[in-house]
Amino acid sequence: MNGELLIFLILAVTSIGGGILMLNLTKVVHMVMALAFTFLSIAGFFFMLEAEFIAVAQILIYGGAVTIMMLFGIMLTRHNDQDESRKRGLKWIAAIGVVAFFVLIVLAIDGINWMPEETAFVENNTAQIGLYLFGHYVIPFELTSIVLLVGLVGAIILARRDRKLNKEGEAHD
Amino acid sequence: MMASLLTSAPSLLNFLIFFVLSALLLGAVLGFVTYAILAERKVLGFMQLRVGPNQYGGRFGLLQTVADVFKLLIKEDVIPAKADKPLFKIAPMIAFVPSFAVLAAIPFTDRFYFTDMGVGLLYFLSLTSITTLGILAGGWASNNKYSLLGAMRSAAQMISYEVPLVMSVIGVILFSGSLNLLNIVEAQSTVWFIVLQPLGFVIFLVAAVAELNRVPFDLPEAESELVAGYFTEYSGFRWAFFMLAEYVYIFATAALTTVLFFGGWLPPLQWVPGLGFLAYIPGPVWFVMKFSAVVFFFIWLRGTLPRVRSDQLMEFGWKVLLPLSLANIFLSAFVFELFFK
Amino acid sequence: MELSFIYQNNYLMVSAFLLLGVLLPIVALTAGRFLRPHNPSAAKGIPYESGIDPLGDSRVRFHVRYYVIALLFVLFDVETVFLYPWAVAYRELGLFALVEMLIFVLFLLLGLIYAWKKKVLRWS
Repeated sequence: MNGELLIFLILAVTSIGGGILMLNLTKVVHMVMALAFTFLSIAGFFFMLEAEFIAVAQILIYGGAVTIMMLFGIMLTRHNDQDESRKRGLKWIAAIGVVAFFVLIVLAIDGINWMPEETAFVENNTAQIGLYLFGHYVIPFELTSIVLLVGLVGAIILARRDRKLNKEGEAHD
Repeated sequence: MMASLLTSAPSLLNFLIFFVLSALLLGAVLGFVTYAILAERKVLGFMQLRVGPNQYGGRFGLLQTVADVFKLLIKEDVIPAKADKPLFKIAPMIAFVPSFAVLAAIPFTDRFYFTDMGVGLLYFLSLTSITTLGILAGGWASNNKYSLLGAMRSAAQMISYEVPLVMSVIGVILFSGSLNLLNIVEAQSTVWFIVLQPLGFVIFLVAAVAELNRVPFDLPEAESELVAGYFTEYSGFRWAFFMLAEYVYIFATAALTTVLFFGGWLPPLQWVPGLGFLAYIPGPVWFVMKFSAVVFFFIWLRGTLPRVRSDQLMEFGWKVLLPLSLANIFLSAFVFELFFK
Repeated sequence: MELSFIYQNNYLMVSAFLLLGVLLPIVALTAGRFLRPHNPSAAKGIPYESGIDPLGDSRVRFHVRYYVIALLFVLFDVETVFLYPWAVAYRELGLFALVEMLIFVLFLLLGLIYAWKKKVLRWS
C-alpha cells in the first residue's frame, strides 16, 4: 500500500460515492452538490495522471460553471422538489444485476495483459497543449468555437420563447 | 528550504511537515484577518472623522476582534426549523475551504513559497468559483426567501465578474510565458507588469472587488436591501466562517495582485541605474509593503464609493468589462509582437 | 525524477491545505458546542422576515435571465480555457496562431453581440 494507491482509493471512493449519492438522495439540490463532489474527484484523478492543466480546467468549468448552471436551472423550476421512493421489489433485482455485472467486468479486466509503459514526466504541460492545439488540431479548435456559438444562440432563443410564454405569470428577479 | 523539501521524495513524513507548515500559515492568516478587520474599522472610522474601536486592548482597540470572535463562539447556534440541516451545516465549509486552499499557490518570496505549481494561476482562479457553490448552498438551505434571493443575486454577480477576472490575467501570462507564479514574478525583474498591462490591471482590480462582494459591489450583503443576503439565517460561528472566508479571500487577492502586477518581492525601478540601493531592502519587506497598499486600497474604496445598483452592476460586467478584457488580450498580443519579439 | 517529485510534493501540499481547511470548521464548531447554550424554542425557528411572520409561499420563482447568464458564463469560461494554452505557448507559436485565436474570439463575440441585441443582457 503505497501513497499513490491510497490516494487513488480515496479519490475512487469519493467519485463513485458522489455518483451513488446523486442517484439516491431525494432533494434535487443535494443531488447537484453530490454531482459537484464527483466532478472535483475526477479533477483529482487528472492531477494523479500528471495532467494539471486539464485538472484545473475541470475544476473551473465543471465544478464551477456547469454546477452553477444546473443550480440556476433548478431554481427556475421547483427547487423544493423531492424524489418519491420507488417500489421495493425492483431494488433487489437491480442489486443482483449490478453485482453480476461487476463480477463480469472484474473477470474481464483480470484477463487483460497490460504492458506498463514508463513515460517520462511531462514538463510544461500547458505550453505543450498550446502547441498541439494551434498546430496539429487547428480545425477542431475552430469548429469548437462554432459549436459554442450555436449553443449560445440556441439557449437565447429558447429562453426568449420561454419568457414570452411566461409574460402573464409572475416571476421574481 | 522549501525547494529542498519539494525535491525530496514524497512520503508520509513530507505530508506531516506540509501539514505543520500549512497550520503555521493558517495561524498567520487568522492573525491577518483579526487585524485586518480591526484595521478596516479604524481606517473607515478615520475616513469618516471618528475614531473607530478603542475600548478593548488599549487606545487602539487591539483586542476588539478577539472579543468579537469569542462572542460569536459562545452564541447559541440557531438553525431555522425547516432549514435543510446537512447542507446548512456544510455550506460555510464549502465557502471556506477554497479560500484557504488557494493560498498554497502564492509565492511570498523566492525562498518562502508553498508549492511550485506549473498551473498556479489557473489553480487560484478555478478554486474561487467553488466558493460560489457554498454561497448558493447556504442561501438555499436556509429556507428563507431573502437568503435565496440574496444568494442568487450574489452568485449571478460573482459569475458575471469571473469571466473578466480570468481574462484580464491573460495579458500577464502572454508576457511571462508561464502560469507558474514564481516565473511570473521573475519575469518582472526589469519592469513590473502594471506598467506593461495598465488596462489589464484596472479590469483585474474591478473584477476582484466584485468577486470579493465588497463595496461598490456589495449589494448581496447590503443591510438595507436584503437584510443580510445569503447569510440572514446564519448566526454565531457559522456566520463567522462566511466572514472568515471573505477576509481570507481579501488576503489571497491582495497577495495575487502583488505577485501578478507589482513584482512580488522584487524591488522597483531596477532599470534606473542609480536606484540599485533599493535592492538592499529584503524581499519580504517589499512584499508586505505592496500587499498592505492593496489591502488599504480595498478599505479606501469601501469608505469612498457608494453602492452600485444591481442592474448597473450586471450590465457593466457583461457589456463593458468583458469586451474590454478581450480587447486587452489582443492589444497585449500586438504590443508583444511589436516590441518584445 | 526531480520534476516528478516536485509535482507530487506540490499536490501533497495542496491536500494538506485542503485537509486543514476542512478540519478548522469542524474543530471550531465542536469546541463551540461545549461553550454554547442550547435552548431551542418555537419562536427561534421561524424564518426571518423583518420581524413579521412569514407571508406567502416560501418558494420563490426566478426569472429565466439568471439561467441565460449562467449559460453565457459556461461558454465564456470554456473560451478562456482555450485562451490559456494559447497565451502560454504564444512565444513558440507563429503569427498564424494570433489569426486563429482572433477568428475564435470573433465567433464568440458574435454570440455576445447577439445576446446584447436580443436584450438578454438587460437586467432591469
